[in-house]
Amino acid sequence: MFEHALSQADLFFTWQNGLLWLRAMGTTLAMAALGCGIGFVVACVLVYLRTWPSLLLLPLRLLLVAYVEIFRRIPFLVLIFLVLFGTRAIGMRLPLFWVACITVTVMATAFIAEIVRAGYESVHRTQWESATVMNFGRLRTVLLVVLPQAWTVIIPPAFSYFVMFIKETSLASQVGVYELMQTGKYFNNVGISPFLAFGTCLLIYFALSYPLTRLGWRIERKLKQRFRRDGDADLTARNLVTGI
Amino acid sequence: MDYTFQWGVAFRYLPDLLGGAWVTFHLTFIGFWTGLIIAVFLAVGQVYGGRGLQRAISAYVVFFTNTPSLVTAFFIFYGLPEVGIIWSPYVCVLVNLILNAAAFLTDVIRGGVASVRQAEMEAAETLGFSLLQKVHYVIVPHVAKVLYAPISNLYIVFILGSALAAIFGVEELTGTAFNIASDTFRTIEIYSLAAGIYVAMTIIASAILALVGHWAFRVKAKIF
Repeated sequence: MFEHALSQADLFFTWQNGLLWLRAMGTTLAMAALGCGIGFVVACVLVYLRTWPSLLLLPLRLLLVAYVEIFRRIPFLVLIFLVLFGTRAIGMRLPLFWVACITVTVMATAFIAEIVRAGYESVHRTQWESATVMNFGRLRTVLLVVLPQAWTVIIPPAFSYFVMFIKETSLASQVGVYELMQTGKYFNNVGISPFLAFGTCLLIYFALSYPLTRLGWRIERKLKQRFRRDGDADLTARNLVTGI
Repeated sequence: MDYTFQWGVAFRYLPDLLGGAWVTFHLTFIGFWTGLIIAVFLAVGQVYGGRGLQRAISAYVVFFTNTPSLVTAFFIFYGLPEVGIIWSPYVCVLVNLILNAAAFLTDVIRGGVASVRQAEMEAAETLGFSLLQKVHYVIVPHVAKVLYAPISNLYIVFILGSALAAIFGVEELTGTAFNIASDTFRTIEIYSLAAGIYVAMTIIASAILALVGHWAFRVKAKIF
């Protein structure tokens, strides 16, 4: 049953192939980290604008709501094709790696904006009001009063999204980015048994994702110990992670 | 910009795309709710089962929640023929969907079962409830209320995740879009249309789930 796979073992487990896997791992991690990192910053700015209490910004607010609602409901695979052909159509010949990064950023922004908004809402209204009484401006209120209290609600689910996007970027192999999944496909195509090729791929993804998931739980516990507050914080965090 | 949009061409293919959307719908519908039934058994096994069973179930859950479903799909699609099992692409994708959905749902349901407070069970005891009454009046309403929102969220996530079926040649929404785009070269229009159908589909699914939840479990679910 597995003789075919076993007979290829010494052909497959060479240090050159190991280097190939390592580079692929780096690409996967870089796509997820860059996308989520930029997405996080953009999401913070978007939510800051979205919660601006002025009627003049109403169109902008509606636009942001539409953005968040739409981009959380498009599959990664469809979005990456749209980004690929869209950037080509306007004459930008971006490398495929950056196409994947943009896709992750667009999606991560929508997902994380929702978390940041939940974080804003988790801070009690009296906190905003007292900041106003102290004559804080809006930016100072957000930076010094709201965000420090909201991190407990924001960081754990945002981190889970980062881990989710590590797995999601496997779909970037479909446009030809040379990451883990594509490496697995390459080995399968040159005749290595799928058990070896995709098995290794699965194990590497697991080795990336599982420790990070555990780290996420640890961060969540630590943050919760520091800022104890009532309510089912653990359940809200979980609900947010599972999505939409 | 040297690309001319031709939306007419894209809209001519709208019936084909809607046909693809129907395949996406039944693929995820069958896969997800089968996964849910399996997950209920697995969650019960994880809470009340023996040590070996508990270990086995959590190994399964941890493995599938930490690996991309695309890679497990490739593993099933290319690995099984090697040992003599040949399934159609649809069945491969469906089995992969069930395996993934069951793992994620087991995780969610176990959390819900664990969230029934001891005090509530004791209160039911005090009122002289039988076990069946306890399940009916205490556990199910509580668990349903806590779990309804995450489960319906996961359903949407799995609708979006089913797009990977296109890679294995299943002609669901993304697969159909892919084929039409390669025929007509109107890539941006076709994919935008497919994305729009996904948005519409998931919003309809969220609305139906919210209504059902409101009617059956009195859950205050929000669509947006």
